[in-house]
Amino acid sequence: MGQKQKPGPFQWFLIILCAVFLCVMLILPLTYIIVTAFREGLGVYIKAITDEYALKAVTLTVQVTLIAVAVNTVFGICAAWCITKFSFHGKKIISTFIDLPVTVSPIIAGLIYILLYGRQSALYPILREYGIKVVFAIPGIVLATIFVTFPFISRELIPVLTAQGTDEEEAAALMGADAFTIFRKVTFPHIKWALLYGVVLCTARAMGEFGAVSVLSGHLRGKTNTMPLYVELLYQGYDFTGAFAISSLLVIMAVAVLALRSILEHKGGKPGDILK
Amino acid sequence: MSENNYVELRHLEKHFKDFHASKDININISKGKLVALLGPSGSGKTTILRMIAGLETPDSGDIILDGKVVNNIPGSERGIGFVFQNYALFRYMTVYDNIAFGLRVKKTKESEIKERVSELLKLIGCEGLEKRYPSQLSGGQRQRVAFARALAPSPQLLLLDEPFAAIDAKVRVELRTWLREMISRLGITSIFVTHDQDEAIEVADEIIVTNQGRVEQKGTPRELYSRPATPFVAQFIGNSIQIKNYADFNCFEQRSPDSTAVLRPEFISVLKKNETQQFSTSADEGVVEDIIFRGSSIELRVRIHGVLLSASRSVNDTPVEVGEKVDVFVYRMYVIDGDTITLVDNDSLKQESVVI
Repeated sequence: MGQKQKPGPFQWFLIILCAVFLCVMLILPLTYIIVTAFREGLGVYIKAITDEYALKAVTLTVQVTLIAVAVNTVFGICAAWCITKFSFHGKKIISTFIDLPVTVSPIIAGLIYILLYGRQSALYPILREYGIKVVFAIPGIVLATIFVTFPFISRELIPVLTAQGTDEEEAAALMGADAFTIFRKVTFPHIKWALLYGVVLCTARAMGEFGAVSVLSGHLRGKTNTMPLYVELLYQGYDFTGAFAISSLLVIMAVAVLALRSILEHKGGKPGDILK
Repeated sequence: MSENNYVELRHLEKHFKDFHASKDININISKGKLVALLGPSGSGKTTILRMIAGLETPDSGDIILDGKVVNNIPGSERGIGFVFQNYALFRYMTVYDNIAFGLRVKKTKESEIKERVSELLKLIGCEGLEKRYPSQLSGGQRQRVAFARALAPSPQLLLLDEPFAAIDAKVRVELRTWLREMISRLGITSIFVTHDQDEAIEVADEIIVTNQGRVEQKGTPRELYSRPATPFVAQFIGNSIQIKNYADFNCFEQRSPDSTAVLRPEFISVLKKNETQQFSTSADEGVVEDIIFRGSSIELRVRIHGVLLSASRSVNDTPVEVGEKVDVFVYRMYVIDGDTITLVDNDSLKQESVVI
């Protein structure tokens, strides 16, 4: 690497270019959201975010996010563990399928679940028998969110686990440790920071998910409206202050999650940099 | 006989997909012996070690430890200690916790663990390092800790995979001697894998040479040197050079049409033109092409009959120069004909003994 040099004209050009890009693409819009939210005064803002339906949307978003992140954490660890520690037939296929939600449009993800669990599906009578409602209900929203966010955690873990290799696990197994002890004592300390980082990313994405959730939720105000859906609803009802107020809340939550990520990075070193 | 054998491998076969890694492996290792598995990379030596440890399962054949077939017993119950190539120390545990791990898994009492760990730390000369993490240790210390960790549960058999590969040259030589002393003091049966013949010769009581998935020969280092059983061993051990036109040398005859010969530096003496020796009349003339100072000796590359031979002279001898014509006397060579190998002496040596 060597010493850092003082920036010359070309470097200044690049720095300014980046700064301008960031301003136009990120900082201006975000500032605009905050400014618009407070345009009609603090009172209106507080009223907008303490509205009954707004609070319900916030609660629902938090609930859905927590469930999705919990499920994906367990699934992500299992998947990453299987893919890196064992060799079996179809491993490549599983590894590719994990990436699928990132490549498939969220709208399609939503439609898949409508087709699978909706009225026209063969599964529908069985679900109705047991009184389970998926489409246009909270289970559908949770499913859609899980689908869209499930690659995040395993994708963070796989490179770290691959870099570590299997020697330490083999050593522990040869000394008679069972799988759970090996995971707890050998593997977990290694993936701790990458896992937290994955959880943060997954949380951020789960909170903001719109497309798939929009298809599945049915937009029932106060019942199946998450924050992003509620923002759209207000916006289409020409309630700009309300829409921007809720948006500002989402932005604040996202920034909080990012801040948390920075704190974790600072504390635990950069994820994936653990081999130093 | 077999009561003395701690490790017995019978007709082991192992494939990795299309690759035939072990071909009919038959090995007996007696109790208390320190044995090296020596061979070029890809020769199947690590596979044999991993099968003994239970990290790989043989396709067929038996692994017998202490008279018991252990094929279906998991590695952790075979009473072995394993030192991995890169040590595989638990990097998020201290030295103390690393060594204690195997004992804790076996639910040993914490007071006994403490005693055993401090005993082992003393044995490996690493007292005071118990609170360090593996990343804070030198290469040599890591190897010692890995050794102590493998020994902690008191195994009957110690397996070491390329134990010196990850250490720099100077410390490596030191550690070899240390490991040898340590193992002979403990009297534990040990098998280590290496591709470095100097290492095998210096450390091991017995060497098993592997090549292309087969065991070529098993014997003491001296036996491998003096009586190589197969052409591969003859070429692999020592600084050997293989030549085709061996009959061009004075006092050697062509034994059969397609045979070749293997020459080692210690079979050759190089004399200056004015130096005389008992057999100088039957020497060949060669030209020195290169001189390499080895510290304790001087290595020469001599071109003779179109082949480049390597030989050595003492630092006390009169120096030779590049381009100088010298007399080269070959005492003996291994003649390889198909799968058979014969040690052939220079004819003039025989005639001399007849005269006496």
